[in-house]
Amino acid sequence: MVDSDPIVFVVDDDASVRGAVKKLLAAKGLRVETFATAREFLGHSRPADAPSCLVLDVRMPELSGIDFQRNLTAADVHIPIVFITGHGDIPMTVRAMKAGAVQFLTKPFRGQDLLDAINEGLVRDRSARRERAELAEIRTRYDTLTGREREVLNLVLSGMLNKQIAADLGASESTIKTHRGHIMQKMQADSLAELVKMSERLKSSLPEGTLPATRAK
Amino acid sequence: MPGKWLHSAFGRYGLATSLVLGAFLGTYLQRAIFATPTYFFFYAAVTVTTWFFGRGPGWYSIILCTLVVDFFFIPPLHTFVKSKEDIPFFLFFAASSLAATWFSSWRQAAEAVLQSNVEERTADLQREMAERRRAEEAYYTAQSELARVAQMSTMGALAASIAHEVNQPLAAIVTYADACNLWLSSDPANIEEARAVAERIAQEGTRASEVVSRIRAMFTKEAQERVRLDVNELIVEVCSFMQAEAFRNHVTVRTELAGDLPPAIGDRVQIQQVVVNLILNAIEAMNAVTTHPREVVIQSRQQSGDEVLVAVRDAGVGIEPQDTKRIFDPFFTTKPRGMGMGLSISYSVIESHGGSLWATNNRGPGTTLQFTLPTEAEVTRLQERERAGKASW
Repeated sequence: MVDSDPIVFVVDDDASVRGAVKKLLAAKGLRVETFATAREFLGHSRPADAPSCLVLDVRMPELSGIDFQRNLTAADVHIPIVFITGHGDIPMTVRAMKAGAVQFLTKPFRGQDLLDAINEGLVRDRSARRERAELAEIRTRYDTLTGREREVLNLVLSGMLNKQIAADLGASESTIKTHRGHIMQKMQADSLAELVKMSERLKSSLPEGTLPATRAK
Repeated sequence: MPGKWLHSAFGRYGLATSLVLGAFLGTYLQRAIFATPTYFFFYAAVTVTTWFFGRGPGWYSIILCTLVVDFFFIPPLHTFVKSKEDIPFFLFFAASSLAATWFSSWRQAAEAVLQSNVEERTADLQREMAERRRAEEAYYTAQSELARVAQMSTMGALAASIAHEVNQPLAAIVTYADACNLWLSSDPANIEEARAVAERIAQEGTRASEVVSRIRAMFTKEAQERVRLDVNELIVEVCSFMQAEAFRNHVTVRTELAGDLPPAIGDRVQIQQVVVNLILNAIEAMNAVTTHPREVVIQSRQQSGDEVLVAVRDAGVGIEPQDTKRIFDPFFTTKPRGMGMGLSISYSVIESHGGSLWATNNRGPGTTLQFTLPTEAEVTRLQERERAGKASW
């Protein structure tokens, strides 16, 4: 198995359930790692490149599965969760699904149902990873822009013409055109539209105030 | 009808006339005795007429009195010649009549105020009573709900924990079985893995049965509290608890508790649960009864020196003879939404206390459920014997 092969984490305080799920996933050729508590899972290092999915029991002695879901989101850990539970009351199901769980299964569940949910989780994780990678790439490109180039970029995005930008920044129009060329090159954008899309993605992923604010007119 | 006649115009004026006539006779007689006439009777006639018969008859009697006085007592006698002396009489009669009118209407107004006050107070009182009744209803409903919830939550919590505990090994079994299938369906089939998994399945099955045993162990001697119980007090407490539920179902609960009941030993909460359960069953058994009063009778008495007996009798639908033992089986229920847990748990509780619980159909309608508990004295005696037995080793 390669380090980038998908891996499934199973957290359940019942040893038999852990063992059974391990056997099931092994029969499908999936990598599995099992833990008795959420803490153990967090303490364990996870491969960075492998698409993963978490199978989590809702009611565990130390930390409830739902709280754990919340903690993970807060800690910026994005791993799709499939909940399993020996109980199964509706409010809990709704809460879990609303918080973004992939699936909510009650014990005893059919193996195929669990496998389907895990597959969906892995698909979600793959696309999420892809998105994150693209975003990181854009971020890297943005970081190569000089301060001046960023100013120009802002004004370009606001829809101003080169002439207006030149007037605003107190530079010549040709200087602005040069800056613009560099920006397109560094950002690897083929058109203004693409530039806009990139900057939107960048903006929505960063906290407020990270990009230089538009200068007051 | 004399009343109606009295209220008719004819009646009123007629009476006014007779009063004037009476006054005349009175004055005449009085004059015969005392020479100088006083006209007191006429004043009285006018006042009384105005007071009782109203203004119309009042005016009529004023005029009539004036005329009579003029005719019979003012010279020239027996004539209707108008003289100066007529006017004062007329005026005085009118004045008394007016005074009577005034007093009468004042009194009527006072009566009207009194009447409206009374009506207001009555309305207020009725409103307060309705409020109180509503509050009582709400209180009883809440109490009844509490009793239900108390029973249900114990049952509910129990059921939930049983479900959870049993679902774990079940989940393992099902998952292992699915894994087994996968191993067997792979190409080539992995018999070794399939075998290993099948073994695990068997182990999980055993574990599941252990879970069930553990739950049953909850109701054994070791897991229970052992304190002295005043069974009568316990029953009375439960009855006050169940009052609301009984009230709601139009059931009366009566107790016939022996005064000299010796104390028993047991787990207070569990025994209370049993009594609650028996009463609830009794109430529900009478749900459809309409031909005779719905009564639950709870009796307590000492039995054969070493046991306390509690009997809960209802006048309900009774039990099929073949079911008198089966009703204590878990999941046996004749109710559409029943869980069938109550009596089986009650049975376990009583048995683990060293007593017995059984059901008999009454000679009349309904069933009686009875249970026994060992008395404190008996339990002590048994413990002594055990200790003595151990010592002899």
